[in-house]
Amino acid sequence: MDGVHDMGGTHGFGAVNIERDEPVFHHPWEGVVRAMMQRTNGRYYNLDEFRHAMERMPSDEYLRASYYERWLHAVETLLLEKDVITRTELTEGHATHPAPEATRETEPRPALEPRFQPGDRVSTRNIHPHGHTRLPRYARGRRGVIRKVYGPFRLPDANAHGDHHAWQPCYAVEFAAQELWGDDAKQTDRVCIDLWESYLVPEEKP
Amino acid sequence: MSVDNRVAYLDGEAALPRKNGELVFAAPWEGRAFGLAVLLSEKGAYDWDDFRKRLVEEIGKGDEAYYESWLAVFESLLLAREVVTREEVSKRAGEYAALERDPVF
Amino acid sequence: MSHDHDHDHDHHPEAPSPVEARALALESLLVEKGLLTSEEVDRIVSMYEHDIGPMLGARVVARAWVDESYKQRLLEDGPAAVKELGIGYPPATQLVVVENKGDVHNVIVCTLCSCYPWPVLGLPPTWYKSAPYRSRMVREPRTVLEEFNLNLPDEVAVNVWDSSSDVRYMVLPERPAGTEGWSEEQLAGIVTRDCMIGVARPRIPAESAAR
Repeated sequence: MDGVHDMGGTHGFGAVNIERDEPVFHHPWEGVVRAMMQRTNGRYYNLDEFRHAMERMPSDEYLRASYYERWLHAVETLLLEKDVITRTELTEGHATHPAPEATRETEPRPALEPRFQPGDRVSTRNIHPHGHTRLPRYARGRRGVIRKVYGPFRLPDANAHGDHHAWQPCYAVEFAAQELWGDDAKQTDRVCIDLWESYLVPEEKP
Repeated sequence: MSVDNRVAYLDGEAALPRKNGELVFAAPWEGRAFGLAVLLSEKGAYDWDDFRKRLVEEIGKGDEAYYESWLAVFESLLLAREVVTREEVSKRAGEYAALERDPVF
Repeated sequence: MSHDHDHDHDHHPEAPSPVEARALALESLLVEKGLLTSEEVDRIVSMYEHDIGPMLGARVVARAWVDESYKQRLLEDGPAAVKELGIGYPPATQLVVVENKGDVHNVIVCTLCSCYPWPVLGLPPTWYKSAPYRSRMVREPRTVLEEFNLNLPDEVAVNVWDSSSDVRYMVLPERPAGTEGWSEEQLAGIVTRDCMIGVARPRIPAESAAR
């Protein structure tokens, strides 16, 4: 989805606040959230659903929330949506029904022939799905070069929405900085993004 | 033995001093104090959460350096459980301070 | 930072501070009472120093610096090479190590959320997960690196890796000059988490440079 989470290249966020020697967790509840996520991820939801749940936060809440606040929102949202907990249980603070069976996706990685090879020139499609995707806005409709071939991995666009069998090869695609940001970018700089096969088309030969 | 996340990821005021993500011991004794406290908890002398709570309290009290608080809490737990007595610790510490014993870990 | 294990046999040691004397006293008493051994204490300290967080990645880097064939294996198959050093790597996650060389400087980001190679670097720093880093690193890497006090010469090209899939990236920094003959442990000591993200370069501490 074209949400605020997709922030590569967005202006206005200011300087990076580099906190030297910071603790791993700033507050005890963050450690609890992390543990909860580790216990429920892969049992009641997958990582793509988890990421998408964060993306679905209202924009202003997303930007105001801390990293672990977003995690908490996602865990809570998914457990409610999957009937692991109910809203009443959440507000009243104790369980009234047992959790459903945890499901685990165990399908082995299939062998798939990749369409592209390192060195191939490709373009990214100009997609704008309402649901989850891992093709950032800043890299849509852009020309790049295949650098590495991975996977296959489950396509996040499908896996976040109930289809757990959409395996595709995935590629590290290299873009010239000027291709993404215009002539002000440094001519020698590059950005590499991992992109699934269905995000890519072979570049039109001139 | 394996790394216990509750130790590795102590939080808030009780957070272990780190630099760039790694544990920092300003002097060898700090590393020893760390190891002693974790080890005795693993051996069941006291509950780690008890150690942690006391550590937070101790740090909250004042201007002690982190591992001074850590060592003080460790010692207090040992004294409370009568693993050592105050007299023997003070006597032994005095011997080290006077170089009657070789200060090597 | 890891400690130098200086074994100077000083016949006139400095008297320990009161708190240090107390730590010595406690350990020696507990050993005498049979409650623990000093070796056990050594092991625990070493575990926490080395088995979590960036020290794992630092060991991988140090090995790659001293062993060219290991480095090639690391660049070919990250998880397998990491496992060679006894570091567990979760199955079904890929680790790709990207090498900094003379005219190329690599840096890692995840613009869409904050993916990070935690098995080798521990938990990510807050700045890595922040909107300023996520939004600006892909677009103006040199300016952001300057905010980290890393100034790259014009001739060096910057490659930014946006970790949008389950592949996790880690930077293999360039070995600095002046480290010839160093042990792996010494080398690992100058490889920080920030070097392996790409916002810093390994530096020789001033006192070592003076030797």
